[in-house]
Amino acid sequence: MFAAAADQVTYNEHIRPILADNCFACHGSDASQRKAKLRLDNLASATADRRGVRAIAPGDLSNSEAWQRILSADPEEVMPPPDSHKKPLPPTQRALLQRWIEQGAVYQNHWAYEPVSHPALPSPLAGAKETDGAIDRFIAAKLARHNLTLAPEAPRDVLFRRLTLDLTGLPPTTVELDAFLADRNPDSYDRAVTRLLASPRYGEHFARPWLDAVRYADSHGLHLDNVRNIWPYRDWVASAFNRNLPFDQFTIEQLAGDLLPNPRIDQLVASGYNRNHLSTSEGGAIEEEAEARNNIDRINTTSTVWLGLTAGCAQCHDHKFDPISQRDYYSLGAFFKGLADRVWDGNIPKPGPLVVLGDAKVHARLKAIDAAFPPLAAALSAKAEAAEKAQKKIGKSNEIAEVVANAARVDPDDDTDSLSPAKPKQATAKRTTAVSYEVVWAEDADTPYAINYGKPAHAGEWRTGPGVPVVGGQRALHLEGSQERPVDFGGGELLLIVRTTAKAFAYFQADPVQPPRAVSLQFISEQKTKRVIWGDPAAFGPEVAKDAIVAGPLPAPGGYTRLEIDAVATGLAKDKPYSGLLVAQSDGAGWWDHIGTACTSPSASVDPLLNSGAWVTGLRNFGRAEAGLPLPHEAIFLIGLSGTQQTIEEKARVVQFHRDFIMGPLRATLEPEANAARRLLVERTHYEMTLPSSPVSRELPTPHPAPILLRGQYDKPGELVSPATPAFLPPLAATGARPSRLDLARWLVDPKNPLTARVTVNRFWQQLFGAGLVRTPGDFGTQGDPPTHPELLDWLASEFVRTGWDVKQFVRLLVSSRAYRQDSRVTPELLALDPENKLLARSARLRLDAEVLRDQALALGGLLRPEIGGPPVRPYQPINIWEPVAFGGSNTKTYVQDRGDALYRRSLYTFMKRTAPAPAMSTFDGPSREFSCVGRSRSNTPLQALALMNDVQHIEAARAFAERLLAEKSTDTKRLALAFRSVTARQPDTRERKLLTDSLTTHRAHFSRDTAAADKILTNGESKPATTAPVAEIAAWTMVTNLLLNLDETVTRN
Amino acid sequence: MNPAHAYLNQLTRRQFFNGAGLAMGGLALNYLAPRLSAAAPAPRLFPPLSDFPNFAPTAKRIIYLHMNGGPSQLDTFDYKPALQPRFQQELPESIRLGQRITTMTSGQANFPVAPSLFKFAQHGQSGAWVSELLPWTAKIVDDIAIVRSVHTNAINHDPACTFLMTGSEIPGKASLGSWLSYGLGSESNDLPAFVVLTPKFSPKVAAQALFTRMWSSGFLPTTHNGVALRAQGDPVLFLDNPAGIDATARRAMLDTLGQFNHHAAARHGDPETLTRIAQYEMAFRMQTSVPELTDISAETPATLDLYGSAVKEPGSFAASCLLARRLVERGVRVVQINHRGWDQHGTLPEHLKIQCRDTDQGCYALIADLKQRDMLKDTLVVWAGEFGRTVYSQGTLTRTNYGRDHHPRCFSVWLAGGGVKGGVIHGETDEFSYNIVRDPVSLFDLNATLLHCMGIDHAKFSFKSQGLDQRLTGVEPANVVKDILAGSK
Repeated sequence: MFAAAADQVTYNEHIRPILADNCFACHGSDASQRKAKLRLDNLASATADRRGVRAIAPGDLSNSEAWQRILSADPEEVMPPPDSHKKPLPPTQRALLQRWIEQGAVYQNHWAYEPVSHPALPSPLAGAKETDGAIDRFIAAKLARHNLTLAPEAPRDVLFRRLTLDLTGLPPTTVELDAFLADRNPDSYDRAVTRLLASPRYGEHFARPWLDAVRYADSHGLHLDNVRNIWPYRDWVASAFNRNLPFDQFTIEQLAGDLLPNPRIDQLVASGYNRNHLSTSEGGAIEEEAEARNNIDRINTTSTVWLGLTAGCAQCHDHKFDPISQRDYYSLGAFFKGLADRVWDGNIPKPGPLVVLGDAKVHARLKAIDAAFPPLAAALSAKAEAAEKAQKKIGKSNEIAEVVANAARVDPDDDTDSLSPAKPKQATAKRTTAVSYEVVWAEDADTPYAINYGKPAHAGEWRTGPGVPVVGGQRALHLEGSQERPVDFGGGELLLIVRTTAKAFAYFQADPVQPPRAVSLQFISEQKTKRVIWGDPAAFGPEVAKDAIVAGPLPAPGGYTRLEIDAVATGLAKDKPYSGLLVAQSDGAGWWDHIGTACTSPSASVDPLLNSGAWVTGLRNFGRAEAGLPLPHEAIFLIGLSGTQQTIEEKARVVQFHRDFIMGPLRATLEPEANAARRLLVERTHYEMTLPSSPVSRELPTPHPAPILLRGQYDKPGELVSPATPAFLPPLAATGARPSRLDLARWLVDPKNPLTARVTVNRFWQQLFGAGLVRTPGDFGTQGDPPTHPELLDWLASEFVRTGWDVKQFVRLLVSSRAYRQDSRVTPELLALDPENKLLARSARLRLDAEVLRDQALALGGLLRPEIGGPPVRPYQPINIWEPVAFGGSNTKTYVQDRGDALYRRSLYTFMKRTAPAPAMSTFDGPSREFSCVGRSRSNTPLQALALMNDVQHIEAARAFAERLLAEKSTDTKRLALAFRSVTARQPDTRERKLLTDSLTTHRAHFSRDTAAADKILTNGESKPATTAPVAEIAAWTMVTNLLLNLDETVTRN
Repeated sequence: MNPAHAYLNQLTRRQFFNGAGLAMGGLALNYLAPRLSAAAPAPRLFPPLSDFPNFAPTAKRIIYLHMNGGPSQLDTFDYKPALQPRFQQELPESIRLGQRITTMTSGQANFPVAPSLFKFAQHGQSGAWVSELLPWTAKIVDDIAIVRSVHTNAINHDPACTFLMTGSEIPGKASLGSWLSYGLGSESNDLPAFVVLTPKFSPKVAAQALFTRMWSSGFLPTTHNGVALRAQGDPVLFLDNPAGIDATARRAMLDTLGQFNHHAAARHGDPETLTRIAQYEMAFRMQTSVPELTDISAETPATLDLYGSAVKEPGSFAASCLLARRLVERGVRVVQINHRGWDQHGTLPEHLKIQCRDTDQGCYALIADLKQRDMLKDTLVVWAGEFGRTVYSQGTLTRTNYGRDHHPRCFSVWLAGGGVKGGVIHGETDEFSYNIVRDPVSLFDLNATLLHCMGIDHAKFSFKSQGLDQRLTGVEPANVVKDILAGSK
């Protein structure tokens, strides 16, 4: 740090970093590691008299033992000792220590833990502008001590591009630019700020650093790294910035939106903050270990994001540098121990608890369903249990009864680690003999399935009463005239497969007065199957007749006849799935009833209709590939878990669900109770499948215990702790007996909390100035960098709180400062003096972030789509990014690129796969979102050059940009001027004009010679060229725009 | 190489070095003025940290052959003849010691001992026991040091792979290759310091996932990320010019870009602009150097024969090994090859055979090839999975079939070259290959040893992040395994 000769050396700014780096590991807060009982982080200990020796004697170097040890050449004496692997203190640090001791060795508490002050403003310096606000006075005062001043304001055009990029993440259009330049009113800049803050692009742009910090992604992150559907949370963040939700409320809704009184849906979505951690259902993983890891992830993220604390150090032992004990650490973790989400995510896209997004009507309906379902389900279960008992009594005498009685006893395949189908297991009741049985799918009504939900009702009518002939139950289906009517056997949740044999049957009775010309049956399948006709073969038309099988004459009226068709005989091969039966009638009228299937399976244990394990295994393998099964979320989640991941209670629920809703031979018995319950289930599932939903926080009635983990190990639980905030920070005001997440959230944004406001304003500062006033945005502890401008930081923090945590107002405050508006040019002298720009004598030049680079190119090409929010999109990505790393069974194994508009959405909406992030992001330092990132690096690599030159997204944007120029302007000069201004916002100088003209000439010559190459240029990207300009022209201009998109000035915010 | 391209390339190189040395605020050079004097030795663009290496290294570069999934030590290198009569006997509690096992087998009623189905024989002067599954590796036992006593903390793939490569089970730390790139810089100005290959594996095997965090720079500057060299698509991402743009057009565009950017450097005084100029020139050179690298047509038939016929299939393990040799020849510091499919919970005999057949000759050829070029002496080669496998069978045990669960308590790793003594067997496990009985080597010890060979004192090699001096070798003391190093007794 800079310490001008005139400066007072202060402990916080100059000395603590030196001591922390070199001394505190052995002479700091961790009692277990302390040597010689000496603390150097504490005045009393450092200056205590130890048999005539004092480590530090204020004002007295020669009697300061620590100083003497630092100077010593004796390896036995010197500090830090050689075995610490620390180097001897360099001269600059020695000089600071020397001056500090000479000046009286004044200790200060660590600055970040002191209450935020509201420092008086420095008086304006001579020559300063009247308009200088607080920010500039603090900065100018420090600059003056180094005989420096703020740089002049950047040229207006450059400044306007800077402002537009910083507030919206997009470059200004030349129209916007011209309007701004033409506006010479004194408040023109201010009005530009107002306009930009009101743009929805602002919220999208400001959401992104927050999403880095809270590690938002669209995949789970571990093992299978399957899709996680939590994008409504991402959209909530963008909307919160756009709505200018005050930061304290922003905090509370994320940590504890679910605990607010009568939380709104958006507040529940916000509480998805707690669901952004990495998760897994890796087979073989140990629940306690995964639970501990999730909890640690939550503690570390929350303490980094709001407190700027490296709490993670206290996972294994008391923090060595900061006053966070291991007890503090796990006490913080205890706040999250009441969260109701299971450790295992089931590898599904929407692990619960969830909130369904929908209007008030939908939610009223969901509430009604949730109220009506339990009694129906209970009645069904009672009947099913009785039926099961009855079957048990018949037991061994009846094959099917035995199967029913034993259905629950075969465990599902436990090994989710491998996808090889049905491995031999130590099954307890495996039948290896073939089983034949019948299932009645329609007796008194059709079985309702999600797949039918919302579609028009099927033809025909289930009638009851005198004169209605029935085979079973009370009703029969009456068809009149020519009708085709599908009967569903299951909405996909069954995966019915022809095992050994399968027949479908229906009972039919013709109307004696007006018998149909013909009736037919046909299996419904994705495979092609043949229709079987009774009666006039031509009744269904010549097309049908061509492929049909004729079974015989129409059954004579007077009674029911069983019509039956065979799967294999009608073209449905073994192991092929089918989903229903198509019943058809030509003219006349007839009764239909008792429609079902008769199957033979090689063994009960492989048949999903007979065995819950087989049902689950089939679905699990199927469900991994397909996201949407028409089953309630809860059932999908349970199916996703391996047997060992299910609790005993959950296992029982799966078995019960299978018995009540799936078990084939029980179906006819369980009607109509099953259908009544199923109808509600299907309706709820319909909402769950068709409306977006998002994982949220929910509190358990009884939280899990929160032990201190000895040495941070999950299998070494120690003393149990209760939720509490670190003892060195202001106390928490708990509203109940046990402090809640809501209490924690309110504590974070309590104005007395010294960290949250400082940490937050610092991150905004970093976003707009390129680096924070504290250069370590995630570490405000003693090991972090001290603020370059401590008083300014405090002033900003107190101002932020004073103005009600108003983010837009705060952003306006920053961008309105002269410090922000300075020119970014740097002289060699200034560069030598202050290479990191810590004094802020100039504005920073910053390479644009990954998302901004891509969005800028799309915007310049006129390709950018304006749609806000929604599910993530999959734009261009080179082949083989996901495939070479993904687990075979992952649903993010194969990247299937979107088409059309989705290719041109803002990068915020690009699918974030944690284990293989999009190269367009990671090449430019976009984080993997596997852990909290509160500050990206800004690298400068050849891979970036290759991406900007060659990535199809960029070359397509260049081509579209070229076409725009050709369409909008009529001469080379005008086109070149527009092009250059579009990318840099300024006019080219003479040299630049010449370079552009020469470049165009060169490429024009090249492509007029090689028109084949020019043709090829037009093939880059999926958008079609819109202009009628000659191909060689488009190609030559594409090279020029490709050049312009690669300019240092273009990829940089200047 | 196309002579025109070669000329352009040479021109670029000189321009680039002139450019990089350009004083701030200076004028753009006259780009087309030819200079005929021979180029001076190229200065390194990515120099090491000061004081690095800390001492004379025995290895200048490292090739890490990662067998992803956890190869069975019992069926490859850890010969346990005494197990044969114990077929199907219960694993004694005195061996298991109540140690944790994964939830894939923790519910098993029995833990029946599954002796290896494969024959072992002694090979070479060292007489090392190697299974019949690895006939080619058996030929190089005198060049490699087999460590049979490596152990890890993690019991599942994801954390175990992350731990193996970054020294931590939790994502976010820097990988070995990134550490080396950071500390030692790059020898090459045309290729990245750290390259990763993900070869094909047999489709018959359900393979575990890889994670880019295994070659991520973590908290280190992202410049040190491993660069994946791909078998399909552009070998390096975005390497190829778009359709319709050839090298001449690209060169012309880059010439103008260079002039613009020099102009900008003068205008803004920002040193990043000069770096950017350098990176664009390196990108252009990579457009030539990478295709040259991946073009194996100039390899002699004898060399290709070493690697076997699979070497001609792009993306095979053998092709990756040859590429690795070509990479290190060209100054690449670290090559990591991740071969997948070693997770044999069931049907182990059949699937392990496939895995070994996929990799065995490539491993052999790599060592032999490096040796014949006198490069083995300063190239360190490591062969390692993320953990071992259990002696007891997962699932049904028969005379011809068994599976094995994850076993973190011991596994076998081999090292060769770069200061490692050949023909060494280090460490010993009990008769069940369940616990280590002699010379345990933690992954921290292993990484400390690799760093040591590269001339780095692991204890001093740290980077401050999240309030901590982060090390590849963790906070606990780690030991260099001196016994396997040349010069040790």
